[in-house]
Amino acid sequence: MSLAGKHIQRDLNFIERVFKINWVFIFLICCPASLGFLMLYSAADGNIEPWAKAQMIRFGIGFFLMLGIAILDFRILLKLAYWFYGASIILLIAVELLGDTAMGATRWISIGQVQLQPSELMKIGLILGLAKYFHGINFEDIGRLRVYIIPFFLILLPAGLVLKQPDLGTAILLILAGSSIFFLAGIRIWKMAIALCLVIGIVPVIWQFLRDYQKVRVLNFLDPESDALGAGYHILQSKIALGSGGIFGKGLMQGSQTHLNFLPEKQTDFIFTMLAEELGLVGALGVIFLYMLIISYGMFIGLKSSTQFGKLLAMGIMVTFFLYVFVNISMVMGILPVVGVPLPLISYGGSAMLTLMLGFGLVLNVWVNREFRIGRRPNSILPHSNI
Amino acid sequence: MTDLSVKSWKKQRNEEESLNSQEGLKLGKNNAKKPLELARTRLIVAGFIFTACFLVLGTRLLDLSLIGTDTESVTSRNYTAAEMTLARRDIVDRNNIVLATNLPTDSLFVEPKEVLEPEKSLAKIKTVLPRININSLLSVINSGGSFHWIARNLTPEQVWQINNLGLPGFKFIKEEKRVYPHGSLFAHALGFAGVDNRGLTGIEASLDNRLTGVANVNAEPLKTSLDVRVQHALTLELSEAMASFKAKGASGLVIDVHTGELIAMASLPSFDLNLYKESSANERFNRATLGVYELGSVFKAFNTALALDSGLVKIEDSYDATKPLKVSRYFIRDDHPENRWLTVPEIFIHSSNIGSAQIAMDIGSERQRKFLSQLGMLEPIKLEIPESGRPLSPSKWRDINTMTVAYGHGIAVTPLHAINGFAAMVNGGIKRQPTLLYQDEIHNRNISGKRVIGADTSLTMRKLMYRAVTEGTGSNAQVEGYLVGGKTGTAEKAKAGGYERKAVISTFIAAFPIENPLYAVLVSLDEPRGNKHTHNYAGAGWTAAPATGRIISKIGPLLGVPPSTANIAFPAEQKITRPIKNIIRTEFRRSESATF
Repeated sequence: MSLAGKHIQRDLNFIERVFKINWVFIFLICCPASLGFLMLYSAADGNIEPWAKAQMIRFGIGFFLMLGIAILDFRILLKLAYWFYGASIILLIAVELLGDTAMGATRWISIGQVQLQPSELMKIGLILGLAKYFHGINFEDIGRLRVYIIPFFLILLPAGLVLKQPDLGTAILLILAGSSIFFLAGIRIWKMAIALCLVIGIVPVIWQFLRDYQKVRVLNFLDPESDALGAGYHILQSKIALGSGGIFGKGLMQGSQTHLNFLPEKQTDFIFTMLAEELGLVGALGVIFLYMLIISYGMFIGLKSSTQFGKLLAMGIMVTFFLYVFVNISMVMGILPVVGVPLPLISYGGSAMLTLMLGFGLVLNVWVNREFRIGRRPNSILPHSNI
Repeated sequence: MTDLSVKSWKKQRNEEESLNSQEGLKLGKNNAKKPLELARTRLIVAGFIFTACFLVLGTRLLDLSLIGTDTESVTSRNYTAAEMTLARRDIVDRNNIVLATNLPTDSLFVEPKEVLEPEKSLAKIKTVLPRININSLLSVINSGGSFHWIARNLTPEQVWQINNLGLPGFKFIKEEKRVYPHGSLFAHALGFAGVDNRGLTGIEASLDNRLTGVANVNAEPLKTSLDVRVQHALTLELSEAMASFKAKGASGLVIDVHTGELIAMASLPSFDLNLYKESSANERFNRATLGVYELGSVFKAFNTALALDSGLVKIEDSYDATKPLKVSRYFIRDDHPENRWLTVPEIFIHSSNIGSAQIAMDIGSERQRKFLSQLGMLEPIKLEIPESGRPLSPSKWRDINTMTVAYGHGIAVTPLHAINGFAAMVNGGIKRQPTLLYQDEIHNRNISGKRVIGADTSLTMRKLMYRAVTEGTGSNAQVEGYLVGGKTGTAEKAKAGGYERKAVISTFIAAFPIENPLYAVLVSLDEPRGNKHTHNYAGAGWTAAPATGRIISKIGPLLGVPPSTANIAFPAEQKITRPIKNIIRTEFRRSESATF
């Protein structure tokens, strides 16, 4: 009976789940977050107000949210996956109809005192939805094209809604994260290639939808020096600040480029610049290394999961995290155009923090339930005893 | 429990859990490990992509903080937020006239922690500096911190008055303010440095590393090839032409055809470098080196020169220009139709599109493309300013492209490209790298270049250009004292789906004295409109050519060019030399140093 015994599944009780939480991963997450508090403290010239304190409170709330999700029953996750996706879509539509407009874009929705950015929640919702969908697909069917019609629209719908806000950066992130799940689920490479060609074909169409400022940003990215006073200013100043840090940096609160206000938005999207100026090359490379550690550890968690849903969920979230990191750092270094993507865990901002902690909670949940097995159809949980 | 029941259970599992299979369960042999393996391979691939991305980030970071910015990091490590002074080298013209220099000034900042009575202090400061905003500064001071600017670059009197107020916490930093004595005259060539004394456009940006830094503080001024007097004459004539023809913009260049030195470079509308913050994007745009335009018939000079130099077309050959040339569904027409057979010189002088297109077909697409590439017409020019336009050329060089390129359509280049190529046509056939830096008489003379056409072809071209001015489209460019040769170009501006009939770019490029050219001049007007003096013609012959003539008659004597001796237009096979000019130049300098 050893054979069947291997597959005996017993529900973990609450205490067991708490003990199975991966504290190494949590420690890894806390590292950049703490560094973030320090940088926000420095950004305010050595004051905990206005940024560092608020950020700590958010992280605290997010922390408990993360733990809460980590110990949820895995089946509930699977059951709620589509619902979460659907709710995110509804919020996105709601923001379109009655959202707040800031700086020409409608991205926020107010619920009492709390402002929410549904496009951030959508990132998690999309991964949940896609992971659940591919979980229910037979492996033999992966090769068939019709399998990809539904998930294609699962990506296209939110991407379209976000693009309409308009938020080009998030739309691209959604599409990239979604296609990465296609890839991890096992779509043939040549199909990916065809899809890529299609996307390239769509680019001119999307160009029509872009606001003027977005066009300027993209064009400007191609040659920042051409308009040093206008739109190129951000990138140019950012590059100067990065260069001026040297190997060991100028020390906290000593960055001349950032503290003399040459660089606007230093506490949000461009915080990496300030970090590189004040902590130098060593600090910047250290942060990148830290992110690499988190991502590889998260991927490892995904690999350990015995269900397709868990694998895709954890990996999808880590891909999203990676995209945040890569796009933000590339943007401040002038490799990519300026799109509004924060540096995860370090940049000042509530919605992104909430999304990330939610995502990390899901990854932890996958770890806690890594030996849990669920069949393709959600209701057919494996037999608990050996017949 | 029997074997059978286990088997049937397995079968059921097979369907339900094919994705979660593990070694113990023997499913279809091929499928057993596939999902897991696939997931692993995919993950390894993803891992590689991630690593590659992070490597890119790391490399870029190294590049930005260590390699690309040597001098920058030296200066910025020495000066932190609290003490920042950066000096820049002066920039002078070829006669050592100062074009850009520094003015030491003081800037006022506040250390909030040391301020005793913020409101009263600020009110006192406002009596000296009426433009400060008390409310916003007050909130800044109350929020603490260690450093905030109040006002930059104050006059000595203001500094004295504020010091007299005796307010604790308000301090001065010595700064250098960049000053451009000539205002808007060199707006696009020099460019400007921002409030942090870092070059943002023009020479100031491109040569930032040579202008700033500890090593350069006491260095000699940077000597450019520009000449204030020539620049002034050029700008004056351009703005007058722009006003009288109500043009949207204008650009002008004067180049030394033997060294590639740019003596003057202007782009209008322009702006005052000292007030660069008030300039518009249109004013900052450099039409001479960044804007690319289809320059029209100017390209016939290159077409004719290539044809004659290749030996495939003889000067006595003639072509049928009796009627418009039909190419697939297009017609090539002439603006000044002669409706007869034309010889090669006539095609050039009367600027015949039909003839030029047929000449180009005799040369062939590949030869034409190679020649233009040798002339540097297909790549951006590396000049000492970052504003360098990338030419637009046909991606596939079909026959129709060959024909239109022959008369300067379907190819767009900057005016700088055009004048640099033109210089090679008239200077004996050598293409050189244009520069904005002074080329030393002793060391850098005979600056190396690349031969693009033979010396005899260049002589023929000079004769043709002379005839284009005396008998052809450029007759309004004739001036007293110098023989001028040149070529007009009136190009309809491209618009979506075709060309605009009314909006044209009128360009004239000329070399003088054409019997032994020393300088070339380019004048280009963007959308000029004809007036009653030009009988409502907006073509280059009516607008750009006369302006070029006036510029030549002004700058010729300034540059010490000896007048042409009448009637001896072209002594046969004359070797290009410049002894007279050198003598006059040195004499000029001697007298200059005596007076100054």
